[in-house]
Amino acid sequence: MSEPLSPTSIDLDRALAAAGTPAASFARLWQSLWVAPYVSAELLELCRLTLARLHRDAAELGAPNPHLDAGTPGAARRAAVLGGIVHRTDGFSGAERAVLQFAECYGLDAQRIPDETADAVKASLGEAGLVFLIEALGCLDGRIRTARCLRDLGRSAAGVHA
Amino acid sequence: MSTARATAPSGTTGNPIRDSALARVPETLEEIIALNSAVWTRSLVSASLLEVLRLRNARTVNCVFCKAVRYEVAREDGLTEERASMVDANYEGSALSPREKLAVALADAYLGFPAGMSPELAARLQREFTPEQLASMFVALMTFNFTSRTAVSIGGMPEGPLPVTVLPRAATSG
Repeated sequence: MSEPLSPTSIDLDRALAAAGTPAASFARLWQSLWVAPYVSAELLELCRLTLARLHRDAAELGAPNPHLDAGTPGAARRAAVLGGIVHRTDGFSGAERAVLQFAECYGLDAQRIPDETADAVKASLGEAGLVFLIEALGCLDGRIRTARCLRDLGRSAAGVHA
Repeated sequence: MSTARATAPSGTTGNPIRDSALARVPETLEEIIALNSAVWTRSLVSASLLEVLRLRNARTVNCVFCKAVRYEVAREDGLTEERASMVDANYEGSALSPREKLAVALADAYLGFPAGMSPELAARLQREFTPEQLASMFVALMTFNFTSRTAVSIGGMPEGPLPVTVLPRAATSG
């Protein structure tokens, strides 16, 4: 791939553009997630960081997100997510805790999300919000996975082995 | 069968995505339908190769619905039920073609936790597929993976396997 050797979920679309129409459609879907009314862009970013932490993906964790203002999320909230301690950290609303707990469970095993975890999201975001969150997490996780694979392919093409 | 956490709005259109709980989110619904259609009609690899990717994902994610579906367009491209059954744990010794086996390996690299591939696999993929085809397969994998994981996360699936259902070509048109 001639495009970025080190793509992340954030800039993945440039690396996939050669795939044509399907890639353009996936890029539009990605963009739409950040402006949908169910989950704020900041909370979605915290979900991305949760999944990146589970993947132990340093490149992903270091990628700046252009969908957010500089300094958002704040350092304390970001640190709590990266440390996996949202549940015992002040500064998160009940809805945010519910969403981030759901993201954690989704990232570990989408088949084993406890009912009470899903119910808490549904109570905060409604049925449409729950479906949106599930879609968004799938896109986020898929993009993290693809970016990791593309980085491996890029290293191989460049003759660089980790 | 578990209880579904979200339900489809009433009414049926014949489009499996539009008739699912995904219709609860109008902000993403049309693009997801367009994406699924684009993957099946505008990808840069064959329909049979796409079906290999989709089935490997379905069996790994354990989506009962996705495992039961077959796309007519892939059958017409040569992925018979006999060949579809080879996309299993013993695929390496099966009669799948070398490209199909590499597609399974690509899916496994994507589906691993964490995702990633060995330098050896990366080199084999780059010898067999163009960069454009690899990009196309990743878009297809992301599409299959996020929709199947959406289905299992929403729940309401039967415990056991469902009979095989062939989705007609029209189902890929959006």
